[in-house]
Amino acid sequence: MSVVDSAVERVADSPVVSRGDLPLLLVLPGLFVFLAFMLFPVLYLVYLSFTNAEPATLFQGREQWVGLANYVRVLSDGQFWNSMGVTWLFVATSVALKVLVGLGVGLVVTGKRVRGKRFMRALIIVPLGLPGIFTITIWRGIFSSAEFGLANQFLRMAGLGSVAWLSERWMAFLAYNVTEAWLAYPFMVIITVSALQDVSEELHEAAMIDGAGFFARFLHVTLPSIKRPVLFASILTAAASFQQFLIPYVFNQGGPSRTNELLIVYGYREAFRFQKYGEGAAIMLVAVAVIGVFMMLNVKKGQLADGVDDA
Amino acid sequence: MSVVSDLAAELADDARNAAAAPVESVKDVKYTLEGVRDGRVSPATVLKTAGITLGAAVVVALLLFPLYWVAVGAFSGTGASLYSSSGIRLWPADPTIEPFLWVVGDLIVPSYRISLALGGYEVFLQTPELTFLDVSQYGVTETSEFKRFFANSLTVAVPTVILAMCLIVPGAYALSRRQFIGRSKVLYGYVLFTQIGGGLGVALLIALYALFVQFGFNDDKLALSAYYAATAVPFNTWLLKTYMDGIPVSYEEAAMIDGAPSWKIVTEIILPLSKAGLATVFIFTFLTGWTEFVVAQTLLSTDNYTLPVGLYSLVGRYSIPWARFSAFALTFAAPIVLIYLFAQRYIEGGLSFGGMEG
Repeated sequence: MSVVDSAVERVADSPVVSRGDLPLLLVLPGLFVFLAFMLFPVLYLVYLSFTNAEPATLFQGREQWVGLANYVRVLSDGQFWNSMGVTWLFVATSVALKVLVGLGVGLVVTGKRVRGKRFMRALIIVPLGLPGIFTITIWRGIFSSAEFGLANQFLRMAGLGSVAWLSERWMAFLAYNVTEAWLAYPFMVIITVSALQDVSEELHEAAMIDGAGFFARFLHVTLPSIKRPVLFASILTAAASFQQFLIPYVFNQGGPSRTNELLIVYGYREAFRFQKYGEGAAIMLVAVAVIGVFMMLNVKKGQLADGVDDA
Repeated sequence: MSVVSDLAAELADDARNAAAAPVESVKDVKYTLEGVRDGRVSPATVLKTAGITLGAAVVVALLLFPLYWVAVGAFSGTGASLYSSSGIRLWPADPTIEPFLWVVGDLIVPSYRISLALGGYEVFLQTPELTFLDVSQYGVTETSEFKRFFANSLTVAVPTVILAMCLIVPGAYALSRRQFIGRSKVLYGYVLFTQIGGGLGVALLIALYALFVQFGFNDDKLALSAYYAATAVPFNTWLLKTYMDGIPVSYEEAAMIDGAPSWKIVTEIILPLSKAGLATVFIFTFLTGWTEFVVAQTLLSTDNYTLPVGLYSLVGRYSIPWARFSAFALTFAAPIVLIYLFAQRYIEGGLSFGGMEG
């Protein structure tokens, strides 16, 4: 006991930490565990990216420092740039789709003449509670090339032939987009609905008196008032799209023949499929740097961390 | 105990509301019809409202159709209707719960023989064999590995929750109620990680895997729980802290004037009043371990697969009929959705922090 007491006193006497800072001890365990499992692997990842680590060498401690060789190889690799291109294309198309679906559904479930809106809203965000892996494996079944795949059955009902969804490049890409939109629509709808409810009723009435039709009102009244929250949601969901791993991985491992490997899938496969830990680490770090810069720009512009100031 | 009775009361409330909803809407419709008959409401308006509502209902139905399709699939027997070329079925041709029986398998507690040594005598106790469900009676001979995955998931999720709560609750209290050095830095770091760090998990996987192997932790479920708890810390600490901020300080001041020591203020005032926040954090941390896939798949070996990994391992096998896969997926997800639906009120209350409102 006395040892602890004297230690506490010594801490209390030190100029940096005063006795009033003892509550820090309550935060430290959480912070320590968090950093041990997050910050430490980040540092180790940085180290790995400068070595030629492979399972055969790494686990016997024989990996060698190779400087920037991994980065040079990655950045001069066509496969990497294909992956980077597909990833940004995916961000663009999927965010556009998500915003459209979110807006559309949001408008439907806030419509003035729609009855049972609360019930519909409750029903519609059920997928938010579904585990990601459940949703994605289900959609993989929907896009199954076999006859029972739901997507193919729809095509047949429309009188079209069936499609080998996951073994054609752009069909697989389309399937990723649809799935991503379905994964994210509850989030987008929640944001859109709460934004739509804040749109001033008076403005709408004024516009109606001026003879503005539905589309004119949407364009000049609704859209300007919901722009900010929807933009905010798009930024967050763009980051999610950029880091999408599960959809390509579960669907067809980023195939066919590596054409649809989004950046994170690419890094994962380089490391675990092709046993190149060093290169994989370099790819992951480039991806993290890109998304970091993207988010930094948005945090600066869109005040994403607003909450901290009033904490 | 009061927590349980509170929960029961709220559940009953929910049930009553749900049951009352159709009655209310029937009343509504009746009222409108009377209005039309009296000429107070014009039929055109009613028709327009009905049409638009129907349109909205179709949109909702289309969005949720994949889930319905999975449910239909799960109740169709092996093979049968789903493979037929007659297009999409809205109802299984001949409904059966065989796929679910395949998922769950036998629920039999085998009999145990317990021997006790009592002063030179040995006493044998033979527990009876308890049969809750014997699927072979229903003609299901081979069963899935659901139970093993389930047990694995439990042994990962339970330590995750325990460890995470031990880390989160004190931290949230200190961040909410005390001033200390570096407080705002910790908060800022947590929020920033919450907002942008979601996908970091996969990016770090290479380093994490290499480290786990080198420390001999790969395929160690306890180490995996520790990892999950660590990733759950920032968001949940922030969440609970925000919740605790909403508890009026005056309660504590009153207790302090009465001479209560600060630990007593925590156990008698802060913790009971943040019940809802604690429940939310409990659910979130539990689900972290229960639903995570990528890390579990990389670190665990086949014997230790958790439920999400087990689900994925079914997809790859073409021999698994869709009905069985659907039943497996539903059995995995349905409890989570139920928990989630019930917890929604808490989650909405707890999620009212800054950025989310845009």
